[in-house]
Amino acid sequence: MTGRLTIFSIMFGVIYLAAFYYDLALFRYYPEVGQFHFLRNDNLGVVILWYGWIATSALASAAIAFAVPKQMAERLWPGWAWIIPAAVVVGMLIYERRWFVS
Amino acid sequence: MIVVLLILHGLLAVALLGAITHQALSVMTIAPAANSRWTFINRFRGVDATAYATPIVVLFAVTAIGGALLYPQYRIDVRPALEDTQNSAANGVFEIKEHLVAIGLGLLPAYWLFWRKRLGPETAATRRYLTWLLAFFVWWSFIVGHVLNDIRGLLPS
Repeated sequence: MTGRLTIFSIMFGVIYLAAFYYDLALFRYYPEVGQFHFLRNDNLGVVILWYGWIATSALASAAIAFAVPKQMAERLWPGWAWIIPAAVVVGMLIYERRWFVS
Repeated sequence: MIVVLLILHGLLAVALLGAITHQALSVMTIAPAANSRWTFINRFRGVDATAYATPIVVLFAVTAIGGALLYPQYRIDVRPALEDTQNSAANGVFEIKEHLVAIGLGLLPAYWLFWRKRLGPETAATRRYLTWLLAFFVWWSFIVGHVLNDIRGLLPS
């Protein structure tokens, strides 16, 4: 179980990065009408994708964590638990530079 | 109701900030010399870091849920105002905040695991860097949250 929890945490960040970059939200929330939708609906006002990205990441990383054989998960080097999330943060910061350059 | 939630969210964030800062400083490798003066910094660092792990996980999760409940109001009221005033940097720092909180939520199981299981010195570095990552997420989110909450007063009218 310990190895699988580590894999979950490692994969969560990676999948979250992919989810927001490729717009892979599991669902969308339209706060002006208070509705959740699986599909894009431009007539309902502003949209929140963040909840859907988190749901996508949680489900996909849990599936991967349970798909990895237990022995392989237990042999994982502990350092990956922080190195890969740190790399995800760096990648995200590079992408989000777009807000600060004119 | 939204004001009550905002204040509660802020208070939880203060508690989280204090806890994660205590723990982040306590895992620094530079230990104070045995005969050094017992300064404020040494006292601040001299805590049982393990005892902070579960409260930090709970506080991070609860504070993030509070932020998620407040988010629709931000999306409807604040963000369009920032876009109207061409304040893309403010939008950018908030986007980064939401990403850091999400990545932090995913990191909590590993963080908790490495603090709960005293795996010995071979995982001390992993514990330290996971703690510092979470501390960076919390500090960024705290500062950005407060600046954006007060942004109408901070910007020239």
